[in-house]
Formats: sequence, C-alpha cells, structure tokens
Amino acid sequence: MFNRIGNLIIKELIQLGRDRLLTAFIVLAPALQLILMAQSIEQGINEQPMAVLDLDRSRLSRQLTTALDNSEELRAQFYIQSMDHAHRLLDEGRARSAVIIPAGFAEGVESARAPQQILVVADATNTMAASIAINAAAGVVGRFSSDLARSHGQVTPEFIDFRTKVRFNPTMDIRNFSIPAQVGFIIYQITLAVAALGLARERELGTLEQLMVTPLRRFELALGKGLPAIAIGWLNFGVVWVISLTVFQVPMNGSALLLSILTLLFVVTVVSWGLVISAISRTQQQAILFVFIQAMTDVAFSGFLVPVKNMPNFLQTISRIVPLQHYLVIIRSVMLKGAGLGSLVPQVVALVGLAFFMGLVALFSVARRVE
Amino acid sequence: MSVRRTAAIVRKELLHIFRDPRNLFLVAASPAFLLFLLAYIFSFDVTQVNLGALDLDHTSLSRHYLASLTSNQDLSLVYAASSYDELLPHLVSGDVDAVLVIPPGFADRISAGQPAQVQAIVDGTDPFSGGQAAGWLEARSSAFVAGTSTLRLPGRENPVEVRSQAWYNAGLESLLSMVPALLAIVLIMPTMAFSLALARETETGTLEGLLATPLRGSEYVTGKLLAYVLMGLISAILAMLVAVIWFKVPFRGSLATYLLLAGDYFLACMGAAVIVAVFVKSQQTVMFIILIIFLVPSFFLSGLITPISTESIGSTLTSYALPSSHFVEISRVVFLKGLGLDYLAQPALVLAGMGMGALILGLGLFRKKIA
Repeated sequence: MFNRIGNLIIKELIQLGRDRLLTAFIVLAPALQLILMAQSIEQGINEQPMAVLDLDRSRLSRQLTTALDNSEELRAQFYIQSMDHAHRLLDEGRARSAVIIPAGFAEGVESARAPQQILVVADATNTMAASIAINAAAGVVGRFSSDLARSHGQVTPEFIDFRTKVRFNPTMDIRNFSIPAQVGFIIYQITLAVAALGLARERELGTLEQLMVTPLRRFELALGKGLPAIAIGWLNFGVVWVISLTVFQVPMNGSALLLSILTLLFVVTVVSWGLVISAISRTQQQAILFVFIQAMTDVAFSGFLVPVKNMPNFLQTISRIVPLQHYLVIIRSVMLKGAGLGSLVPQVVALVGLAFFMGLVALFSVARRVE
Repeated sequence: MSVRRTAAIVRKELLHIFRDPRNLFLVAASPAFLLFLLAYIFSFDVTQVNLGALDLDHTSLSRHYLASLTSNQDLSLVYAASSYDELLPHLVSGDVDAVLVIPPGFADRISAGQPAQVQAIVDGTDPFSGGQAAGWLEARSSAFVAGTSTLRLPGRENPVEVRSQAWYNAGLESLLSMVPALLAIVLIMPTMAFSLALARETETGTLEGLLATPLRGSEYVTGKLLAYVLMGLISAILAMLVAVIWFKVPFRGSLATYLLLAGDYFLACMGAAVIVAVFVKSQQTVMFIILIIFLVPSFFLSGLITPISTESIGSTLTSYALPSSHFVEISRVVFLKGLGLDYLAQPALVLAGMGMGALILGLGLFRKKIA
C-alpha cells in the first residue's frame, strides 16, 4: 500500500516538475509576493494631504494650521483662497480633507464670546481614511483649545493620571501585524490551488480512468494527491517564515516547533478543502471557479481586513469554519505574543476539528466521485 | 487583419459561453454573486473594543469610573479580574484588547484633590484596534473628570470647537465606500474566464485546428478578447444592479462613462492575460498566476481599505502596477462623486496604456509562438 501511494506521489511530483513555469511559480512566487506586499504595507493613513482655507490670516490661525500639520495623520499641503478651490481639490482627490478657519477667528477667541467653530471637510469615498482625518483634526483642535484655555488662566483640574503601556508590539509597528498575516495568506493560496486541481485535471484529460484500472485503491488515490500538496504548503511556510524573520525582522517570541505543527494542521485542513473542491467539480474550469469564490470569501473572513469581532453575530459564526481566520490568530499570537498551546485552545480545537472533519469529507468525496 | 474572420471568432466564443451554463455563470454572473457575498463582510461601521479590568480600589467612585468608560456599546467590559496575574493570559489569548488597572486609594486621592494613576495595558499586535482602544480609554477618562468635576469654571472652557462634514458619503457609511471598490475586485472574474479560455484551447489541442484555417493569430486573440470584454461589460452591469438595487449605493455618475472605463479596465487586465497565455500550457498554471498576481494582491494593495501610500516609490509603483488600483479609484469617483472623464483622465489613460502595450506585446509574442 505504501508502495502504491509512494509511486503516486512520485508521479505527481514528476508531473508538476514537467510544467517548468508552474514549478517556478510554486517555488518563487511566495517569496516574491511577500517581499512586494511587505513593501506596500505602510499604507496611506498617515500624512494625508490636507487643504487649508485660512480666512482669518492671524497669528493664531497660523498656529492652528501648524498644529494640524504637525500631527502624524495630516499634512497641510495646499494653502488655498476659496471654498471652490477646496471643492476642486477634493473632487480631484489631490487633497483628502480640508480645514476652514473662519474670518474673525482670532478676534473671537480673544473676546471670548461664543466658541469659535473650525470646519473640517473630509472625502468620505474612503470611510476609513475620512474617519482618521476627522478624528485627528478633532484631537488637534481639542488640545489646541485646552492649551488656549490654560494660557488664559483657566486651569483644567486633572483627576486621572492616565498611563498607557503597549504590550507585544510596543511601537505598534504595522509590519509586525501584517507580515505574519501575509505569511498565512501566501501558504493558504498555494496550498488550496495545488490541491484543488489534481483530480479535476485528470478527469478532464481522461487520465483518471487509467489510474482507476491500476490496483490503486480510492483512499490511496486521495492520500497520493493530498500528501504532495501538504508538503508543498509546508515547505512554502518554511521559506516565507524565514524571510519574515530575516528580511523583515518580525520578532519570534514563541516556540517554532509549536508554530510548525499548527501550520501543518492548517495546511492539512486547506488541502482537504481543496480535495473536496477537486472531487466535486467536473471540469478544471469549475474547480477554478470554486477556488476563486473560496479564496475571496476566506480572505474577507480572515479577520485581517475587517476584525472578526466587528462583524455581526451570524457572520462571526460563519467565520469559525474558515481555517484561515484561526490560523492568523495562531501565527500572530505565537510570533508576537509568544503564546503557548494553553492560550490557543479555541483555535487549536477548531483547526483539529476542521482538519479531521474536512479530511474525512475529502476521502469520502474523492472515493465516491472516482467510481 | 480581416474583420469578417475576427467577427467569426467573436461569434464562436459567444456560442461557447452561452452553450455551457457553468461558463456563462463564471463570465457573466459570478461578479454579481461575489459582490453580494463580499459586501456583507466588508461593511461594518461598529468597532468593538473588549476591556478587562482589575479594580483594586473597590469603591463606588472606581465602579462609577468603570461604568462611565463602558457606557457606550462599543467598549465593553468582558472580564473583571481579582488579581494582576489573571490579566495577562487574557491579553495573550486575545479575549481582551486592553486591560485597565485601578490602583488602591484611587477614590481617596481624587477626593484629596490629587490625580490618581490609572494604568492601561494595550495589546499592540493589531495597531488599528490597539490604537483605537488606547484612544478611547484616554478620551473617556478625561471626559469622566469633566463629568464629576464640582469645580467647573464658568466661561471660556472651550474656546475652539470642531464641526466636521463628510463629503460624497455624508453618513460615513462604509457600505457606500466599499461596494464600488469591491467591484474592481470581483470584475477580475471575466479576465480569469478569458485566460482560461485561451489556455483551454491550447491544452485540448483545438488551437491547432483553428490555426490550420486561414485565421491569423492576431484575429484569433482579438476576436476572443472582444467576446470576453463584451461579456465582462454585461457582468459589470449585473454587478452594478446588485450595488444600486440591493445595497442602495447611489450611482451619481454617468453609466456610459462607467462602462467605457470598465471596458478600459478589462482591456488592461486581459491584455496582461494574453502575455500570460503565450507562456502557459495549462489551465491550472493560469489559475495560479491570476490568483497570485492579480487577485490576492488586489485585496491588500489596491487601496480597498486604506488609501495607497505615496510615501515610498517602491510601494507606489507596486500598487499602481495593478490595474485594480486604478479601477478602485475610478469606481468610487464615478459612483460617489459623480464626476466624468475630465477628472479621471489619469487612471483612464494609465489603464489604456497598460492594455494597449500588453496587447501589442502579447500579439507579437503569440505570432512568434505559432510561427
């Protein structure tokens, strides 16, 4: 039996090796992808270009503009004369927000009548960028306002001396958050794609019939198709993980052994999904369509782009059957927090359950479809 | 190049697509279906922060303080610890985003008019959630002070106020911002179908039959491309209907402009697919390449969630090399800003340039290959 499975694995690897482009892709693409993606991770939420319409032109209004410009999130890039100009800059997308300081601002503050109003306008076609800009401007103006109050002899009494300490990623470096997640996405896509096509291709090209007339048993066929995919996924993990540690200096605070074992578990789950797709599709085209739908929903559910806890309850429940979601928690916790098995119980239980269940479904569906 | 022969290829391709319902779904309906799925996952406006607390003071004031922090639904106290050691495991396992320690003597110090120290430990692994948690805790702690203050001074406590406006999407609803952007992602499917169609013809050997006729390579590729661009436009209309009717996203621009630019987008993607097709022998390799080069990076680099960074040249180039980055912008501008070609000249020309360049190169390579 082991002999037969071994032969099938060798056949699979020879077949893969014959398609040079595909082999090159499987070997090189993950590393290249990680390097390219990691470059672009510093996304544009800081230093967003802002237009300033200062109708007051006083010392105070210039101070406020400087304070806004000094914030991490905003950069005063355009000094403009009219509201129309602000409108045009926002339309063109050259400025993402505009701040309007009304005429008589400094005088109003000095004479201490009603509070003076500053208007902040943001381009909300991207809501995340807009909220960041609005919140940043509100924070700057709030501090500016209380500094002004203090300098006018108003002492705001302080009751709570609030100290914040950041653990696990003290500088809140976005790379340490994204790169482990990218490692997860990369092994996920490669493994799923390799596993999903094996059977569908043989069926479409008619070679499956030839395999079936050999003494090969059906579960041997499933194992012979699954094991190379598992090996490819695991090796890819090794490569991109080492790159993330050496090139990108992501800290590794937990146990490498634990991470490798849990990665293997994850890869087994993904390969099982892939084999099921492969078994239920009649043509390669169908299998590919399933892979794409699967990949898009899994990336969306992974919790990287939208945190799972922000989703409504029914979507949170669905996300529990997405292995990628559990794996991203695992890799991030092990690498950054040094988490041990004890604090990963829910994720590990879920992955073991999914691997076992999907593995059985895969064996069963491959066996059934081959008949 | 003969128009008649090209038209014959267009007709043949359309027949292929319409004859097989699975193929028809892949080309025409899958973008609408995927948009429907993804929009639900990507559009939540609630951000949830989970807090763990250790109250060593046990006074009514400390309880009052905790209650004031969690009075909004968005920040909830999920774990009340009785000792310091209990807190860390919860932070490691990710049950809580931050823990708060209220020291003994908190109430005594405040009533004596001295500031009381409160410490927050924030999980920095996800800088977005962590920053949010830290910001909210600090802001609400100072709001608590103002709320309990009996020494409120009259008058100029707050000389400057901020008023904010979100343009183009007044309610800052992420659904309205995400759906147009997701269109760029789901409209990768027609390109996928086009590349598969090219590879299938090579793989199954029917290309040889076609080339034995007077048909020229450029006519063959152009005919196929036209058929799939046409189908892509139909799929874009279906997906737009889902956006406008089901998700009630306002469509403020002109339909003709949108479809013209969608055609431009398909040209850029499919032009690249022609180059890929020259080198690729099998459908499975095509899937790998589209998955790894187009689909997965599009989620992270196209400005879907956060705007594209312009801070480093490397990241800007990587992002703008992806056609989807340009179409994310186009789609948001036409849907939400309602602007026309004069504002979109730059992304439109870049896409057209990419498309024409890739097509010329692809046709040249293809001619060499079949010669």
